[in-house]
Amino acid sequence: MPSLKEIKQRINSVTSTRQVTSAMKMVSAAKLQKTQQWILNARPYSDELDKILLSLASRTLRDEHPLLKKIDEEDVKSVAIIVVTADKGLCGAFNMNIIRKAEEVIRKNKGKKIELICVGKKGKKYFEKKGHTIREEYINFFNKLEFEHSRDIMNIVTTSFLKGKYDKTIIIFNEFKSAIQQNIVEKQLLPLSEFEESDEKFLASYLFEPEESKLLDELIKKHLDVQIWRVLLESSSAEQGARMIAMDAATDSAGEMIADLTLEYNHKRQDNITKEIIEVSSAAEAL
Amino acid sequence: MSNNKSPKKLLLKITTPKGIFLEKKVDEVVIPGSAGYFGVMYGHTAFLTSITSGSLEIYSGEKKDTYIIHNGFSEVNFDEVRILTETIEKPEDIDKKRAIQAKERAKKRLKEKKSEINFRRAEFALKRAIARLEVAHE
Repeated sequence: MPSLKEIKQRINSVTSTRQVTSAMKMVSAAKLQKTQQWILNARPYSDELDKILLSLASRTLRDEHPLLKKIDEEDVKSVAIIVVTADKGLCGAFNMNIIRKAEEVIRKNKGKKIELICVGKKGKKYFEKKGHTIREEYINFFNKLEFEHSRDIMNIVTTSFLKGKYDKTIIIFNEFKSAIQQNIVEKQLLPLSEFEESDEKFLASYLFEPEESKLLDELIKKHLDVQIWRVLLESSSAEQGARMIAMDAATDSAGEMIADLTLEYNHKRQDNITKEIIEVSSAAEAL
Repeated sequence: MSNNKSPKKLLLKITTPKGIFLEKKVDEVVIPGSAGYFGVMYGHTAFLTSITSGSLEIYSGEKKDTYIIHNGFSEVNFDEVRILTETIEKPEDIDKKRAIQAKERAKKRLKEKKSEINFRRAEFALKRAIARLEVAHE
């Protein structure tokens, strides 16, 4: 049986832990609000960009542009996988879910050359230990997220793709559904597959400068840039949401623990008092 | 343009990944296009171009506003101009010292000629620094 003093110590330590977890919950809630706002702010930009890109792409033959060219699954020899995890833990199964999905994708692409691009410290540490080839790593930037980060990733990805280093680039990330729900998403970044040819011809009578193919090139890069930026924001939001929930649960169970310990403490104290009274009264009787 | 007392206005909309930067009616915009500066007034031909680092001048009435813009696209369409850019700054926000440092750094990196990516990055940084200094000097 622990002594009174030991129980008191435990109550104190759990109380301070609870303070920390509830503070972390507040911080996550504030950060979540910020990244959420950023996602909303990025929307008009990416919408306008997509509109221009779509109509310009529909004027060009799909197979003419290397970044748009469709590829058959059998022809894929090498794959780059971008794994987006968090830099920090304490956010439930957030990181583990992504890692598990990435492992699944790696298994699916067995026999092909696979290289990883790790965004976030947790994924990098895990895959490093497992002995996978990590081509690039981007760590410790989620607390000061800037648009330059996504541009860097985009540059690496497109340059190595155009050089023929990879036939396909996949990105795996947590998508923010709501504070309590994240979706794991696996998406093909390159070659660009998601948008279909459109009939929209609103650029029909436009003048272009520089020529169309060069413009298209830049537009596709910008498009990828924004895509990656959105992924980073989504993942960051999802991380904050997951941490908020995890910390909320931790705060709750710390509260329960304090209640249990206090009960135990009071029991023990009452026992001691009773014991002392019995001792005193039996000593008095013996006199 | 005609000598009409109240010339028709042009709707200017500047969008960045961080939100809509500016949206207002103006008389004229001068944009640093990839093939040189060009001015846009009401009734311009439909035109799509990329933008390089430079100063963006906006005239409305007697007022002239200058911003620094780095890379992007502009879509001109008779009565409106849409500009998509990642970075746009006001001249008063520019830190001249930092821009000079960045310029020197970029120049040094360009001489090193390491990898292609670093080269392009340095080139971009140099352009950006020069554009910043140009406006900051005024």
